[in-house]
Amino acid sequence: MSTRSIGQEFTKGLWNENPVLRQLLGLCPTLAVTGWVINGLAMGLATSFVLIFSSIVVSIIKKLIPSQVRIASYIVIIATFVTVADRFLAAYFPDISKDLGPYVPLIVVNCIILGRQEAFSSKNSVGRSLIDALGMSSGFVLTLLVLSSIREILGSGTYLGHQVMGSWFTPWIIMILPAGAFLALGILLGIALHIEKKTKSRI
Amino acid sequence: MKLSVQMVVVLTSVGLLSGSFLATVGILTKERVELNKQREVEAAIIKVVPGTESSTKLYEAKDFKVYGGKNQDGTLIGYGILVSGIGFQDKITLMLGTDISLTKTTRLEIIEQKETPGLGAKIEDEDVFLKFWEGRDCSQAISLRKPAVKTAEELAASEVNTITGATISSESVLKIVNNSVEKLRQLIKEGQIQDGEQDVH
Repeated sequence: MSTRSIGQEFTKGLWNENPVLRQLLGLCPTLAVTGWVINGLAMGLATSFVLIFSSIVVSIIKKLIPSQVRIASYIVIIATFVTVADRFLAAYFPDISKDLGPYVPLIVVNCIILGRQEAFSSKNSVGRSLIDALGMSSGFVLTLLVLSSIREILGSGTYLGHQVMGSWFTPWIIMILPAGAFLALGILLGIALHIEKKTKSRI
Repeated sequence: MKLSVQMVVVLTSVGLLSGSFLATVGILTKERVELNKQREVEAAIIKVVPGTESSTKLYEAKDFKVYGGKNQDGTLIGYGILVSGIGFQDKITLMLGTDISLTKTTRLEIIEQKETPGLGAKIEDEDVFLKFWEGRDCSQAISLRKPAVKTAEELAASEVNTITGATISSESVLKIVNNSVEKLRQLIKEGQIQDGEQDVH
């Protein structure tokens, strides 16, 4: 059982236990779909949807599931919500769905989601699981947003498809390619660790 | 309850509940997904047969549909073949545009694919792959140029470029195209392609 306050339960996902920057989980979609802000945002929201609903369901039925089959049950529950998200995107946002391609079905194997079920929802109340999922989701969405903003502005000179850089600017094509994802994420991780170190040493 | 029984009961009910929930979601979104696909197909015909003002469905079979593109006067100016075939890991759905005599390709569009991102997925890439499909001689089977060349001028009339690092995906597209052109030629010979059966627009 967690002993944090409700506020801490939420904010830990934003910084101290940020799924990408601190736990280094869910890096595959983080690297793959952050070439454009709209795709990063869609992926973040789809993952959040899956994480929030899986956490609720798992925390409700946690006592019914024998521990021997818990992973299998979690995966079925997660896959259900992933399929819902996939169908929803295909029906209402066909362009985004086409851009994200196989990465939406791949949310099933995103470690953030299974990790939260195993580490948190299976041991805590529904309310706390919901707060935890909301915090983790926000942390994930924000990180994806920062990363995709850097990559889209530098890589294509646009933001959400609108031109933001002047005509003097030559887009750094590498930033929208896979290599750019590693560069941007690496620098972001470095900055996050640096800030963490500074704040810790002050205390 | 005995543990083994509990395990079976829990897993079965989780599976059943998920299944029925998904079936509902599937039914609810089916119509819209189909509509989106149909819209995409219509847009694709206009792209693959340049000069198309309206289009007609000429033939329909499983994974093989033929559309006709018509110009302003309503004259048939080319065919758009919508066809699915096996790619490297999953189905590739594409639309090939040809002229009316079935001797030249006009354009290739990939409608749906789940090839390896970064490698096989380049079959959707204009500069690496698609542009080499314009104006190819398809009166005979089209072949692949290996290793890849840089400009379309280096290719023979019935050759297309290979994607470096994605030979299987390139070959899959080639095979789908060659088969469907052959199939359409056979259908025309048998008189099964009739104009003006069904108006799409």
